[in-house]
Amino acid sequence: MAESLIIETTDLHKSYDGVEALRGLTLGVPTGSIYGFLGRNGAGKTTTIKVLLGMARPSSGQARVFGLDVDNPEIRRRTGFVSEEKDLYDFMTVDEMIRFTAPFFPRWRADLEQRYLRKFELPSNRKIKALSRGTRTKLALLLALCRGAELLILDEPTSGLDPAMAEEVLQALVAHVAGEETTVFFSSHQIAEVDQIADHVAIIDRGCAVVTGALDDLRERYQRIQLVFDVDAPQAGFRAPGVVRLRRKGRMLTIMSSGGTEEIVEEASAMHPLSVEVVPVTLKEIFLETVTGEE
Amino acid sequence: MLWYKSWLETRWRFLIGLVLLIFSALSTVFTYPQVLKLLPMVPQHINGEIGRRIREAAELARDFRGYVWSDWFRQNLPEKWTLFAVLIGTGGLLAHSSGGGTLFTLSLPVSRKRLLGVRTATGFIELFVLAFVPSLLIPLFSPAIGQHYGVGSAVIQSACLFIAGSVFFSLAALLSTMFNDIWRPLLIALGVAIAVSLVEQAPQVSYGIFHVMHGESYFRHGALPWLGLLASAVLSVALQYGAMVNIARRDF
Repeated sequence: MAESLIIETTDLHKSYDGVEALRGLTLGVPTGSIYGFLGRNGAGKTTTIKVLLGMARPSSGQARVFGLDVDNPEIRRRTGFVSEEKDLYDFMTVDEMIRFTAPFFPRWRADLEQRYLRKFELPSNRKIKALSRGTRTKLALLLALCRGAELLILDEPTSGLDPAMAEEVLQALVAHVAGEETTVFFSSHQIAEVDQIADHVAIIDRGCAVVTGALDDLRERYQRIQLVFDVDAPQAGFRAPGVVRLRRKGRMLTIMSSGGTEEIVEEASAMHPLSVEVVPVTLKEIFLETVTGEE
Repeated sequence: MLWYKSWLETRWRFLIGLVLLIFSALSTVFTYPQVLKLLPMVPQHINGEIGRRIREAAELARDFRGYVWSDWFRQNLPEKWTLFAVLIGTGGLLAHSSGGGTLFTLSLPVSRKRLLGVRTATGFIELFVLAFVPSLLIPLFSPAIGQHYGVGSAVIQSACLFIAGSVFFSLAALLSTMFNDIWRPLLIALGVAIAVSLVEQAPQVSYGIFHVMHGESYFRHGALPWLGLLASAVLSVALQYGAMVNIARRDF
C-alpha cells in the first residue's frame, strides 16, 4: 500500500525578481515521519517552507499540504510553525503571546502549555524583546507544539543556539512527537541533528531535491567503493547506474554509489585492482558528495 | 485577538495623540480670555499675505465661535490630527521594526484581508476618538470661561476633519504595504500631507483636502462640503483597496 503523504510538491518553481530559488522541487513527506530537509544556506529551504504555508506563491508547479492547495488557511489551522528568526511580537510579554495565539487554534493544548512553561522555565511576565535567543526559541516551540497540530514545520529550529540548548530543543521535539501523532518537517544545515532525529530526509541543492528517502534506506543504498591499484588509478567510466561521484587520487579510486553496488564492484574488478573495499557512508558524506565537490 | 494585537501595536501612538490633543483643546478654550485682552494690540498696518492672515485671525477671534474655528478646527486640530493619522496608519504586517512577527502572523489561520482589515478598523476607531473627543471638550469646558460653543457644531466640524483626513491615514496604510520598514511610509505620507497643506495655503487655491477638513463652508455658510467629503471618502477607500490588493498578492 502506498504511504500517505502529508506534504507533496511536484516540479515546484519559485523565482524572486528573476532569481530562481526553487527549480523543479519534487518532494513527498510521509504522514507520521520526522523529515529532515537538509541544504546549504540559500539552497531554497526557507522558500519551500514559505510556499507550503502560503507565505509565498509558487511560480509554477504544485504544492499540497493535507491534500489542500497551499493558499488554503485550513493548512495553517492544522500546522505548527517556527520560523528561522523565531520572530514573535516584541511588544508582548510571554503570557500575552500565549494568550494571543491560543484562541486561533481550537485544539490548543492547555496541558502541554503548562508542561512546557515549566519545562522551558519561561518567564511569563517578561517582554519578548528582552528574551535571550534560546528562551525565544523555546517560546516559539511552545507556541507551535501547543497548537494541537498534525504537522510541525520548523525552519532551522536550533539556529543560533549553543550545543546544550540545541540538544534540549531537539530532545523536547522528539519527546513531543513520541507522545503525539505529529509529522515533523524541519529544515536544517546541521547534518548531525538531522541524523540524530530524522527518519526521512531530503537534501536540496540549488532549489532541487538531489536525495530523498528514508534515512535507513539511504544508509543501505549509499556506499563507498574503494579500489587500490598497483599503479596510478585508471581513468574509469562506469556503465552501471548509481555512480554518484568518482574520485581518483594516486593509486586509489573511490566511487560513491547510490545503489547497484554489486554491478559497480563487478565492473571495477575487471580493472584488476589490488583490493576492492565496500564501506558504509554517513549522512554527512552523502550530503557532501551530493551538494559539493566537482570531478 | 487580532483586535487586541492591533491595539497593543498602536496604543502608545494613540494615547500620546489623545493626551496632546486634549491638552491642546483645553488650551484653546482657556486662553481665549487672554486672546480677547490682546486683540486691541494686533497691528493693523502690516501688508501682504501675513498681514491679511493676522487681521483675519483677529477678526474671527472677536467672537468665541470664530476663535474656536480659527484656532482649533482650522489650525491646531488638523495639523496634529494629520500627524497622528499618518503615525497610526504606518506599520502593520510588513513593518519588522514595529515589533516583528510578520511570519508568525502569516502562520496564523487568518486571511491576509482580515489581518489588514482589523488593523485598518482599529486605526479608524482610534482616529475617530482623536477627532471627536478633544473637540467635544470645547463645548463642555466653554461655560467655565463664560462662553458657549454648540455640541452640534463640534460634531460636524470633527466629522469633516475625520472623513477628509482619513485620506492621509489610508495613504500611510497603502505605503506600509509597499515598504518593509516604517520610516519610508511615514516620511512619504508626512511629506505629501505637508505639500498638500502648503499648496492649499496659496490664496488662489480654494479647494483641497485641508479645506474640507477645516469645514470652512459649514462655519461660514452652514453648508456641508458634500462633494469634498464624498471625494475624500472615495479616495480613502481606493487607497485602502490598493493596500488590500497589495498585501494579498505579496510574497513574504
